Amino acid sequence: MWDMPKIWVFRGLKKGILTTAYPKSQPTSEEVPTASLPPRPTDAVDWSAGERGCPTGAIDSGGKRVDLGRCVYCRLCSSAGFTFDDGSGSRAGALQAGLTGRHAAGARRIFGRSLHVMMIDVGSCNACNLEVLNLSNPYYDLSRLGIAFTNSPKHADALIVVGALNPAMVDALKMTYESMPEPKLVLSVGACAISGGIFRSAEGFVSPVGDAIPVDVVVPGCPPSPVQILEGLLLAAGRLKETGAMR
Amino acid sequence: MERLGEKMQLSSVFQAGGLNYALISDTETNKTIISELPLTLSEEFGALLRGSGAKPGSPLVLEASGRVEGYGVFEFPYGPVSWGVPEAGAFSLMTYGERVLKVVPRLNFKKRGIERAVLGRTPEDALLFVERSAGNFSAAYSTCFAAAVEDSLGLEVPSEARWTRAVALELERIHNHLYVFGRLAEAASQNIAATQAHALRERVLRLNSRHFGHRYLFGINSIGGVSRGLPKDERRTLTTEVRLIGREFSELVQYFLSSRIFLDRLQGTAKLTRKDALGLGTVGPSARGSGVQWDDRLTFPLEPYEDIYVNLETEDGEDTMARTMVRVKEVESSTIALRELLDRMPSDGTKSGPHRRRADSLGAGFSFCRVESPSGDLIQAVQLDGGGRVGSLHVRPPSLVNWLPFARSLEGTVFTDFQFAFESFGLSFADSDR
Repeated sequence: MWDMPKIWVFRGLKKGILTTAYPKSQPTSEEVPTASLPPRPTDAVDWSAGERGCPTGAIDSGGKRVDLGRCVYCRLCSSAGFTFDDGSGSRAGALQAGLTGRHAAGARRIFGRSLHVMMIDVGSCNACNLEVLNLSNPYYDLSRLGIAFTNSPKHADALIVVGALNPAMVDALKMTYESMPEPKLVLSVGACAISGGIFRSAEGFVSPVGDAIPVDVVVPGCPPSPVQILEGLLLAAGRLKETGAMR
Repeated sequence: MERLGEKMQLSSVFQAGGLNYALISDTETNKTIISELPLTLSEEFGALLRGSGAKPGSPLVLEASGRVEGYGVFEFPYGPVSWGVPEAGAFSLMTYGERVLKVVPRLNFKKRGIERAVLGRTPEDALLFVERSAGNFSAAYSTCFAAAVEDSLGLEVPSEARWTRAVALELERIHNHLYVFGRLAEAASQNIAATQAHALRERVLRLNSRHFGHRYLFGINSIGGVSRGLPKDERRTLTTEVRLIGREFSELVQYFLSSRIFLDRLQGTAKLTRKDALGLGTVGPSARGSGVQWDDRLTFPLEPYEDIYVNLETEDGEDTMARTMVRVKEVESSTIALRELLDRMPSDGTKSGPHRRRADSLGAGFSFCRVESPSGDLIQAVQLDGGGRVGSLHVRPPSLVNWLPFARSLEGTVFTDFQFAFESFGLSFADSDR
């Protein structure tokens, strides 16, 4: 057979558009998988029926409140009657990023449509790192939103912190934060960064990232899916309304 | 033991009942040998293999044979915060101009202390920690731990569960190899190529989440089985998807191999001789790229792997190209293995006993297991105490033993080869620090 010249551009065009419609519309169930849905208490919850209890203490003993910052999405609580999917196929409730009290108003005006982001790993299992890297693949393509990765804190507007803060990384984290120019945003991504997650009792965990440097946005998950991280970035830059729609 | 380093490879060292044991891989007879520690280990190599001693916060510096000093020798500190290596870990690169004289990996920036954190927990709870040791090798970690505990308890496990675990292992292998492939393309500034490889990897991750409930395969295993099986209709759709991904990958590889610019960066870069590969205990595709014939799926087969066909992929180029080609061929053989696994998976509820007959358990309540993770041989030894809780856990991650070969392969290369060597070894700090 005639050997086609191997030209990447043609191949790329042939593939069509893979990129998610988010944030113009809600993400699909492919983009936010079932495993990223938080446990929701129902009236049927009987925590005493669960054999082991919540391994990270994310669910209080009454079984009515779920602290998503601690949840590692292990789904062991399903045995106690917690449900995850409301069956509607909608993922609106799955976007969980939240602002902390210190996030300044006016981020939209300051950063406009451009945001340079740096990631720092302070002791993760590598899954969060990979999900952050995945943001630049064609399915999520964050450059279409004016967001770009940078490899120096001096160029960064926002810092994504992943992992359970390790004693060896405390100084590195503080130095990185200090060398960023003002104004700066910090995102605490994943259960380990927010609360220590499953490692909160391990020797290699010092404190939540929020105790070492000021944090603006938390993105729960273990690991959060790329769309959920993207939501956190847009929220930090002031480009989302509270309802999740584009501003 | 004089043959150690020629035909045999010292794989791990662990303590049981106050004695030190060595776990040796005989590459000639493909046997795993356990004996009392036959030789005095060099301090550093021993610390590497024992591993669990270091406390979080104290660095582990792999300074194999002294430092290089002299006129014009510059020590370049790299990490722990960098984008080139998207993880917390550091290197001291000793350079003379462009030439790299020596590389000293500095580990334990992210040591969480998994081996200590699981002590006194039930095996089910310990599994949550173990599978979060290294997110990209999660299926290998949890399968290895679950199999070792099941051996220890003498549990019978449904065959279907064992086959399902193998499906997860192969999917994990494919997504990791695609990641390495994409990163290599990024390192060569082949940006369209890199995004295509990463897009293909995203498809595998979505496949994982659709069929196993998690993109990185967390929570798929439980002690004595899997948490979610693969129903028959799902097996069919999974087979189709895997075939499409396999076909697209072969096409992608054709594109890559027609690019001279890309090949020039790989060929002859970061050579690791077969002798060094054996002597330094290299594992996985990195070792097979130097002609070492070892793959746990064939040399230490857990249940489904004795019944299905897996080809031992080796290359003798000893360079980055050889290591990459091993990974390319493994993606292809994994898709073939997946087709067979999904096609012949039993669903009649047969159970099979523990693997003990092959795993040579060391006395009561002590057992070990080896699983071929995407970057190579993962060893775990588990001891349960009287109450059925974890009494001791020893983990020998694949990345840990690959650091010294990686450092050796870089000696004498130029600075810009660093990224290619790093990615082709498939190294992960999360894995080696655990």
